Amino acid sequence: MAGEVLGADDLRLIAFTLQVAALGTLLILPPGLALALALARYRGPGKGALETLLALPLVLPPTAIGILLLEAFSGRTPLGRALAALGLEVIFSWRGVLLATTVMAFPLLVRSARTAFEEVDPRLVGLARTLGCSPLRAFVRVTLPLAWRGILAGTLLAFARALGEFGATIMVAGNIPGRTQTAALAIFHAHQLGQDGRAAALAGVMVALAFVVLWTSEALARRHAARA
Amino acid sequence: MTPWRRRWGLAVALWLGAGLAAAATELHVFAAASLAEALGDIAPGFERTSGVRIVLNLGGSNDLARQIRAGAPADVFLSADTVQMDLLVSTGAVARDDVNAWLSNVLVVVLPAGSPARVQRPEDLLAFTRLALADPEAVPAGVYARRWLQALGLWERLAARVVPLLNVRAALQAVAAENAPAGIVYRTDAALSSAVRVAYEVPRAQGPPITYVAAALARSPQAARARAFVQHLRGSQATRVFERHGFIVLHGR
Repeated sequence: MAGEVLGADDLRLIAFTLQVAALGTLLILPPGLALALALARYRGPGKGALETLLALPLVLPPTAIGILLLEAFSGRTPLGRALAALGLEVIFSWRGVLLATTVMAFPLLVRSARTAFEEVDPRLVGLARTLGCSPLRAFVRVTLPLAWRGILAGTLLAFARALGEFGATIMVAGNIPGRTQTAALAIFHAHQLGQDGRAAALAGVMVALAFVVLWTSEALARRHAARA
Repeated sequence: MTPWRRRWGLAVALWLGAGLAAAATELHVFAAASLAEALGDIAPGFERTSGVRIVLNLGGSNDLARQIRAGAPADVFLSADTVQMDLLVSTGAVARDDVNAWLSNVLVVVLPAGSPARVQRPEDLLAFTRLALADPEAVPAGVYARRWLQALGLWERLAARVVPLLNVRAALQAVAAENAPAGIVYRTDAALSSAVRVAYEVPRAQGPPITYVAAALARSPQAARARAFVQHLRGSQATRVFERHGFIVLHGR
């Protein structure tokens, strides 16, 4: 049935949505894991404030994040002008989709990864270090293998968030068919145009995608919990 | 339950009840976004003489018509084109005899105020990488702009550069914030922002006819008041306000 309602353009925009979400998730992995590890090990002052700040995008309206990003990257700001001079406009371009979705997804990755890192016994890492491992080697050989399920679950959660982001994306990247329109925006747009059949078909595809991602994430988290 | 808890519970219940109870003397006017300021100037006068509070719901006319079709509680619909009103007439939400064609407008090309670019003829639009429009598939201002560019044979070449926005004010804002180098809006919108300048005014003979239509909704529980408001919009006081804002007031039906 979906085949009749969804055209080639719809399949392209679903592919675009998946690509941007995947690229964004890959991009936030290195800084996200570094921050998560730092938060898991750090015990000093300001930890609570930093963690709260980091969680803000989870609880703020996405439109609030959208307006902050617009204020930072608009063509009127020095940053916006500099990027435009380099041919890297963010507003109303696919880079805007990437920016908005990754900002919204970042805290999910960091929170899950932090929990996973916190569950790694620091004595094991210390043991590896006394046996002559470099810090990096200890991280790769001890910490990562023990925490990988939690990290993967967080990565999938971040990916799912990026797939479905709407509010910040429509403000920063606009809703340009074939260029910045993601599946979430296309559902809204189709509804605006009175094409509720197409909107429902796209929603169905998103339900299926989100189910697979979340189910995988939950399954990994459960196995992680069982091991811990 | 302890007494203080009961008191708090009662207070919250009263607050919710008071907030959600509909006030009977409100007229819900669903109006094209381009009418915002003019209606803001006109409403207080009507409120004083009638004792009815005007509640504006502003947006793209297509979006408003969709809300009304879905059962939104509207008493008056002020559409920036006849297409959206005709849709409501065809579904019975508006009686054909209640539709008044009352305003017109002019399309203009706007640029950020500091832009050095010039638009002396429509073909000069091809120099811009992006063109901010109200969604040309649905929102009246965008549909008018598309029909103008189609008549000139420019649409095919410009379509890929169009940034379609939710309504005409969003298109104005995209240019004002310098997120788009050019846009097409109504003359009345351009006059509101010092961050944009009008680079080209579409001659009325060249563009499609722009017609704003007003109607009281058939199923409004306050149909008489709704009709009175539409009549008020066509009165001499309101006419002066619309003309001051740059609208063209149509006479007759």
